[in-house]
Amino acid sequence: MHLLEVKQLRKSFGKIDVLKDISFSLDRGKTLALIGSSGSGKTTLLRCLNFLETADGGSILVNGETVFDAAQKGSISEEVIRQRRLHFGLVFQQFHLFPQYTVLENVKLAGQLLARAKPDYRGHAAQIERELDDTARSLLDKMGLSERVDAYPYMLSGGQSQRVAIARALALQPDVLCFDEPTSALDPELTGEVLKVIRELACQNTTMVIVTHEMGFARDVSDYVIFMDQGVICEEGTPDDVFNHPRQERTRLFLRHYYEQ
Amino acid sequence: MQLFLEQLPVVFQSLNIGFLQTLKLFIVTLISALPLGLLICFGSISKLKPIRWFCHTLIWIIRGSPLMIQLLIVYYFPGLVLHTPLWGGGESGRFMAAALAFSINYGCYFAEIYRGGIQSIPIGQEEAGLVLGMTRRQIFWKIKLLQMIKAILPPMSNEIITLVKDTSLARIIALQEIIWAGQAFMKGSQNISGAIWPLFFTGVYYLVWNGCLTLFFRWLEKKLSYFR
Repeated sequence: MHLLEVKQLRKSFGKIDVLKDISFSLDRGKTLALIGSSGSGKTTLLRCLNFLETADGGSILVNGETVFDAAQKGSISEEVIRQRRLHFGLVFQQFHLFPQYTVLENVKLAGQLLARAKPDYRGHAAQIERELDDTARSLLDKMGLSERVDAYPYMLSGGQSQRVAIARALALQPDVLCFDEPTSALDPELTGEVLKVIRELACQNTTMVIVTHEMGFARDVSDYVIFMDQGVICEEGTPDDVFNHPRQERTRLFLRHYYEQ
Repeated sequence: MQLFLEQLPVVFQSLNIGFLQTLKLFIVTLISALPLGLLICFGSISKLKPIRWFCHTLIWIIRGSPLMIQLLIVYYFPGLVLHTPLWGGGESGRFMAAALAFSINYGCYFAEIYRGGIQSIPIGQEEAGLVLGMTRRQIFWKIKLLQMIKAILPPMSNEIITLVKDTSLARIIALQEIIWAGQAFMKGSQNISGAIWPLFFTGVYYLVWNGCLTLFFRWLEKKLSYFR
């Protein structure tokens, strides 16, 4: 069974069809790279997976369980959506760290709020808080940020900020971790450190969907590549298929633009 | 000089009493207008059209007309037009009328400042909270509120300092605040008449009090400068 299955997802903003019949699946531990020019619908697809947009048609399944079905949208409460979106994590292009919290607090906050809402929190509070703290610290350690746990976001470089954002998303142990152009807001010399940690995550079999403009990175890190164009999947396959033997003229044109740069 | 020194303690005592009334109006207005403003602010960005429309109209009327006229209407309209004197004739009635007019007026100004603060927070903060499984309430209390307070502190301190000086408008309905107390010595009070310096001297009270507030807001801004 696939970990993630997306079936015939459709989304339009007004008269513009941003996603037209998108279907794909992803197995546990695999990395999917979504490539395509701006406006092709990649980001909207990620936002639909994370319930930041509500798709107009189609369905999304995680582990065989339907987490979204456009046929019953509107009848699902905000509370249920909140539970279901925890299957997914999202790392934003612009990080969106919480400025008033330290690095460590940024990573811990959501887990604390979730734990405190559970009935078994009382009585085990000290232990649960300690576990959350340990988890956050070890994640930051993996991101190479153990020196920066007490820093505030404004003190960090872009690359450090993005690594905190990745740790923050990982802290909730999502089934699928999504990245929306994680290096597009970074200086070229800072992209490397972020790509490095994403590579490490791929090696540790984290299931990921990555929207990226870094073609070399997409080729190296992914197990599967989808090239989107104007709201449809234009071409898909292994990195070797898509990058070395593209079948569609549109894909070749797109890739040539990148190689010429 | 001799005369001045004789007048001084009498004038001081009188101005102190007047300033106490000024201070009372300031504090009561602040305590009621701060939450009222939040209510009007939420109303003005509400999803319900009638509520939004009502709040926008209220803000337009209150900000678009002089506070002095609002004071006169609140104080005199019930008695003179509706023939149901709401406030009674005494100082406490004048105070309540003034406090009501000031609270509504400043509530509307605060509402606009709050709205600016809420809208200054990038949408990404809310989205980051959402994808981390937070409820809207948690996002407001744990993420947005402090950022909002930090953002509105400069315009808020500006408005609050203006409020201190605006309390003098309550003189128009004869509230016995500090301007009223200073003016009394021109017409004649406690064997002093034709003295204009007490009225001028009231300015020092405003200056000192606003100086204290300025220091307080500076301290608060510094407190919140640990993040950006």
